[in-house]
Amino acid sequence: MALEAVAPVGLEQALRAVAKAGPPEGTQVVSAPGGEFSAWFAREVGAVNGGLVQAEASMRAMALGQGGNLHEVMIQLEEAKLSFQLLAQVRNRVLEAYQEVMRTQV
Amino acid sequence: MDYAATFRISASGMALEKARLEIASVNIANMNSAGRSADSVFKPLKLVGQAVPFPFAGHFDHVRAGGVRMAGAVPVETAPRLVHEPGHPYANAQGMVAYPGVDHTAEMLNLNIALRAYEANVVALNAGRTMAARTLDIGGQNGA
Repeated sequence: MALEAVAPVGLEQALRAVAKAGPPEGTQVVSAPGGEFSAWFAREVGAVNGGLVQAEASMRAMALGQGGNLHEVMIQLEEAKLSFQLLAQVRNRVLEAYQEVMRTQV
Repeated sequence: MDYAATFRISASGMALEKARLEIASVNIANMNSAGRSADSVFKPLKLVGQAVPFPFAGHFDHVRAGGVRMAGAVPVETAPRLVHEPGHPYANAQGMVAYPGVDHTAEMLNLNIALRAYEANVVALNAGRTMAARTLDIGGQNGA
């Protein structure tokens, strides 16, 4: 596509040159295959869910009188709660970044 | 910093204090259990706690373990309490029955010590939990 309005500035040529040259010298391009973050996030969600499920299972065992230490169960619940809060914070940050991008003037 | 490690340390303290309470309860429960002879009478137990080394040297990021563990419950050699009960099946030739030499006052004190130490461990754990929750406030909307 030709950019007639800005052609006099020589922007098109400049852009082509940049595209041909690739990233500037000394810049490392980290290969980020699609879905790396979402895969990590899904994994973390699974881990948090596993913690919650385990806490619930030990709570159930405790309530059914199948032994177990009350303080261990409470600590498991606390750990599950903390990991869920961490997950919620990560989600908040990601959403903030997304909204920031969506607010960008184009 | 690994907050789960902090929780584990406090949990080990709680487990030990729970064991201390159980041992005091065992001693109190057996306060009046007669022994067949002065030698076979129940001996009051005493809990021995042992510190788990805290590997602190240099690697702040890899703080692991620490805490306390139960080294065992050892019987304390106390003189049995001899009571004159001639009709008792376990009475000896002099009509004396041996009862464990449980120190009632000391056991009541042990109960209180275990309770207070347990509470202190809970407070320490809650402090760690509050610290972790505050960490999650970093960069938050309502964090000052």
